[in-house]
Amino acid sequence: MNRVRNTKLILWLIAGFAAAVALNRFVFGLGVTTNLNDKTPWGLWIGFDVMAGVALAAGGFVITAIFYMLKREEFHPLVKPAVLTAFLGYLAVIFSLLVDLGLPWNIWHMIIYWNPHSPLFEVGWCVMLYTTVLLLEFSPTPLEEFSRYAKIRNFLMKFRFPFVLLGIMLSTLHQSSLGSLFLIMPFKLYPLWYTGILPIEFFISAVALGLMMVAFESLVSHWLYKRKPETNLIAKLCRVVVWVLATYFLVKIIDIISAGKFELIFNGSWQSNLFIAEVLISTVIPAVLFAFPRLSRNNKVQWTGSFMVIFGVVLNRIDVGGLAMLGATGDSYTPLWTEIAISLGIISIAALVFLFAIEHFHVWDLRPEDPESNPHNLPSFDYTSHTWLGTPSTSNITKHTLAFVISFALGMALMPGKHLHSKGIDNIKVKPATGIDTLYINGNRDNQFVKFTHQAHIEWLRTHKVPQFRSDVFQNISGATNDSCGICHHLNLPGEKLSNCWECHTSMYAQVDFFNHDWHTSNTGANLKCNDCHQPGINRTDQSAKKCTSCHPAYKFTVNKKVSAKTYYTLSYTNAMHNLCVSCHLIESKKLKNKPHLVECSTCHKTQLPENLITGLKWKIKVPHYNNVILPDVKNVSSTNK
Amino acid sequence: MSKGILTDITKCIGCLKCVSACKEAHNLEMDVPRIWQKNDGLSADNWTSIVRRPEDHYVRKQCRHCIEPACVSVCPVGALNKTKLGPVIYDSDKCLGCRYCMMACPYGIPRYDWSKAVPHVEKCILCYDRIVKGQQPACTEACPQHATIFGDRSELLRIAHKRIKENPGKYINKVWGEHEVGGTSVMYLSDIDLGFLSYPTKLGNQPMPEKTATAMESVPFAFVGMGGVMLGLNWIIRRRMELSKEQKKEKDSSDE
Repeated sequence: MNRVRNTKLILWLIAGFAAAVALNRFVFGLGVTTNLNDKTPWGLWIGFDVMAGVALAAGGFVITAIFYMLKREEFHPLVKPAVLTAFLGYLAVIFSLLVDLGLPWNIWHMIIYWNPHSPLFEVGWCVMLYTTVLLLEFSPTPLEEFSRYAKIRNFLMKFRFPFVLLGIMLSTLHQSSLGSLFLIMPFKLYPLWYTGILPIEFFISAVALGLMMVAFESLVSHWLYKRKPETNLIAKLCRVVVWVLATYFLVKIIDIISAGKFELIFNGSWQSNLFIAEVLISTVIPAVLFAFPRLSRNNKVQWTGSFMVIFGVVLNRIDVGGLAMLGATGDSYTPLWTEIAISLGIISIAALVFLFAIEHFHVWDLRPEDPESNPHNLPSFDYTSHTWLGTPSTSNITKHTLAFVISFALGMALMPGKHLHSKGIDNIKVKPATGIDTLYINGNRDNQFVKFTHQAHIEWLRTHKVPQFRSDVFQNISGATNDSCGICHHLNLPGEKLSNCWECHTSMYAQVDFFNHDWHTSNTGANLKCNDCHQPGINRTDQSAKKCTSCHPAYKFTVNKKVSAKTYYTLSYTNAMHNLCVSCHLIESKKLKNKPHLVECSTCHKTQLPENLITGLKWKIKVPHYNNVILPDVKNVSSTNK
Repeated sequence: MSKGILTDITKCIGCLKCVSACKEAHNLEMDVPRIWQKNDGLSADNWTSIVRRPEDHYVRKQCRHCIEPACVSVCPVGALNKTKLGPVIYDSDKCLGCRYCMMACPYGIPRYDWSKAVPHVEKCILCYDRIVKGQQPACTEACPQHATIFGDRSELLRIAHKRIKENPGKYINKVWGEHEVGGTSVMYLSDIDLGFLSYPTKLGNQPMPEKTATAMESVPFAFVGMGGVMLGLNWIIRRRMELSKEQKKEKDSSDE
């Protein structure tokens, strides 16, 4: 039983990882725990867990149809495991939906708010109803163990036929409606996959996948418990699947040819290669393999063939569910390891429940031996005979719990602490203004510069009186004369380069707190303790704090007599820029005849530097005319900027 | 009575007053300032944005408020609704976060609060609360150039065609949003091609919901049909089995 035990240990390890990820996902949201973004809102969890999960559960309805409807009694040993797999598959789908949905606690809303136009509404209802039907179909098996529930069991057994029929009908809808989901995205899905008959293709491939899933599951579980594989039964399934796969292939190819997309298959793009690979793996190779009766009875061929069909059809679901859309959306989504961990984790838990059910209920005619029922945990000391019996081996439960806990902790430790901000935004690093005499202020951070002649402005301030209306800004700084740098570079932080306005005016539109609390308390900053500024015993607010001027006498404000921390707010970026430049220029525009007229917004906002200035800023080429003003040769500037 | 917005690309100077007015009107959080975004600038906190195109063209991007919206038709709980006044509005209480609307939108408009533990879909709602009161949306009110104007959709279409007629050669002879995907409430006049606003550069005139309509209409037939086929097969097979049993019996009895 070592195979079973080791498999279980691995499954528990994966489950631990998944649990850690799930916890993080619910606390911090989807942005931190996934690579999903506005361009790719559906990722691996939909493409694999939901789409492929439902398809993998198709074995339930296919085998019940064969057994109950078509009366092929020889398939009886496969029915119960198949129904169990389908039931667990649907539970797995529901769990992964709970993880993937943004507001999973609202999942029941589908019951009361109806929108019958939506394919997803249909999918949702099918999941709900079919899971219930599967529960009713499977529950007689565990109920068998408890004699007091015999009445319920008999009742359920009586209605087995209608349940099975309902299950087949719902599955037909559900498998195909997963295809309908993507009918509304002709613009995103690559044309090789997009077709109006996507629901029909989904249904046929689900039948093929269902048959092969039953075969594969039987092969794996028999290998795990070291039993003789049901080779003959599986061979029969393999012969059926040839016909299904042939139909699938024909439907697909005829549809593509009739839509005139045949050339797309061989145009060499990554989508076309993916398509060829998918069709080969899912359809052509297994169908050819199983077409030979001798090969279809070979155990190894059964393994390969069934795995290929499963892999291929799951790949098809992933392609349709997102992979084949990346070309249109221009996104480069690759699942984060956390997404993969959740996907594998949910499968692992389902597999663990499957193994549990197999060991404890009559899923198979002959129940496999339960490794737990042979306790390896012998008492280490026998008190009656006073003999030492040796060190007891660790019990499986301990091992599994330990595996779960360790991998949970590991998962927590590995959680990415990245991008808490919305994925719709990528910050572009701000470059400081460049140049000495002429500053190129890349205020918008979009390589559209505003030219600011530094020296000319200093000269102007020396010879002119600061306009009255600007005094609130200029005279706020005590001791500032007209030509002191502080007039413009007010309250500059140490180490600030020229006019890095954005360091204080961090927001485009909102006022921001100029006082940097983190810097004042950090070791690398001012390294102050709480009571250095706040009075002990009083609530620590900005009001109860020490005034800034008591440490920074240079910051004495003359206009606002009462200086509180509130005063240290800086204007928004737009206001700062516009107030400092525009307000003067508005007044002085008549005098400044040759200078830019800032009355026109377009003077600053539509100007663009020549291409060679923008790219690289290597300053190798002499800059020619710019807005009718000859730029200085800026060859020697680069060193001073760094 | 359906309202709409007409944006004239040739008039826009890219001052972004519409963007900040929108943020103010809907109490959206301030994010990193405008162009610092690699993509079109729309985000959960930016319901409208200005996309810069070559040669000083500024294209305002926002929800198009389609006449027959894909997002409304696919929402499984009806959290998105097309109102009679024109706006497509969002009910965050109903939403369950499936993000199907984001997948279905041909213009790629809806955004998601990826950073929040309780996320919602965020998109322009054409200032529905203001329209109901008889006001115009915050963005059109803020525009200093009257580049983006608000009004009855039919009236806006008339204005658009009039402008094209009166300024021959200035515009491309097309009103973006007049016919695409069955028409949209937010329309554009332009001298450059605006195909980049949607996923395929050329959208058909067929409304998006019609693409799934056939599949959804055939659902009951598929359901009942499959049941019928299964029952029929079952009946035939049972009958055959009975017949073969009877034949066997007869054979047995005749043998005796």
